[in-house]
Amino acid sequence: LGAGQSIQKTYDLTRYLEHQLRTLAGTYLNYLGPPFNEPDFTPPRLARAERVPGATVDLELWRGLTDNARLAANYRAYSRLLCYLRALDGQAGTAELRHRLGHFCSSLQGLVLSIAGVMSSLGYPLPAGPTAAPGSPGAANDFLKKMDEFWLLKELQTWLWRSAKDFNRLKKKVPPAVVTLRLEARGF
Amino acid sequence: GLVQSCGHIIPESPVLALGSNFTALCILNESCLDFGNIYANQIIWKIKNKVVPKEQYREINRTVSSVTFNDTSSLATPLTCNVLADGQIEQNIYGIAVTIGLPPEKPKNLSCIVHQISKLTYHMTCTWKPGRHTFLDTHFRLKYRWPRESFPDCIPKDTNNSCTISDVQFFVNLEVWVEAANALGKAESDRLVFDPIEIVKPLPPHNLSVNSGILPTVLKLSWENWISAAVMELKFNIRYRIITDTNWIQVPPEDTASPRTSFSVQGLRPYTKYVFSIRCMKEDGVGYWSNWSEEKVGVTTED
Repeated sequence: LGAGQSIQKTYDLTRYLEHQLRTLAGTYLNYLGPPFNEPDFTPPRLARAERVPGATVDLELWRGLTDNARLAANYRAYSRLLCYLRALDGQAGTAELRHRLGHFCSSLQGLVLSIAGVMSSLGYPLPAGPTAAPGSPGAANDFLKKMDEFWLLKELQTWLWRSAKDFNRLKKKVPPAVVTLRLEARGF
Repeated sequence: GLVQSCGHIIPESPVLALGSNFTALCILNESCLDFGNIYANQIIWKIKNKVVPKEQYREINRTVSSVTFNDTSSLATPLTCNVLADGQIEQNIYGIAVTIGLPPEKPKNLSCIVHQISKLTYHMTCTWKPGRHTFLDTHFRLKYRWPRESFPDCIPKDTNNSCTISDVQFFVNLEVWVEAANALGKAESDRLVFDPIEIVKPLPPHNLSVNSGILPTVLKLSWENWISAAVMELKFNIRYRIITDTNWIQVPPEDTASPRTSFSVQGLRPYTKYVFSIRCMKEDGVGYWSNWSEEKVGVTTED
């Protein structure tokens, strides 16, 4: 795949994941039950929740990101989010929910691979260092555990929303033909 | 008779390629030599109950006789090693089952299609030509992977030329191939690389409704699509006929070549009953048309 095509596919996949997560998150929050499934429930973000990579970023900072930094941030975030999500998918209540979580995890794994594909097609190295989520002490009680899961889903939704913008931005900057020429010029 | 086995044949239960050559050895036990006065040169090879011509035998040494077949087509089960004990009574020493067949051919014409099963569920079915009959237990596996991630093989059920994968992932290129294996070898099909989004056959539009409007020559169709725009944008074909007629008329495809959930069909006859049906596919034309939707009837108003 050329870089432009690779970015387009990654963008499409991000939108597809957003679509999947929209219904999946609703089902999962219903599984967590009140107050987590109430529309206006906005709990405080405890220190524990900071382990999950935060998607929120200063707009100017975001605009100023280099393509490499932008992609690396996505790659690291989804690699860690995937680990947390995989920890969920084995326990969730109904078989149907587990199946859909499993499917979503596979799709997210596809996104990590696609981002890696875009980075290599643009000549960027994958981020060094551990991308797996650090080991974390179990939640002290069931409510805190649900709080962790609530924030994981919220953060994931925000990341996907941000990534769609990231890849949309990259799509405009990296038309297919140009990149191929530039790479060839450098003797790749 | 001889209670203890006086010898054995190697190989024990061979699987042989049709048309190849084959040699078996009958090895007599030393203990039987002394007791029964039996030697390798007294061995008689038989296929079923038919004696194998002596020209095919060779005495390797006192206790070992071999038999060679230049073409396994003449072989059958059992192949036995026998001796004339005490000069007259023919005694069976050992026998083996021989299985003859062919290695698998390279599976051909691999092709795949993704069927939409429900709003969120898609199954991908791949089919292939398994190749010649091998006369052996031959197993087929559909293998598929991403560049850096493999998935569990799809094992066909009750068939040897298709398999269905129930967890389909879009927007990531998938490499797919078939592996055929039996006791005589393995063969792999050519590999396909595609994004499953490019081979989708969507469910047809549903909840089709037909409503007359102000103009007696116009009927408005409305429907719902099963596929979300996040998965793919759709284009449509609409066909209609007068209820008493059998010939369908199709709305010019270019008029319905963009995402929508309604369309006004014009140029109809006033006060006439029409039947409508609609189908859809990916907007860029990559993939398969859905089946036609259920038919819906509408009547234009009077002039």
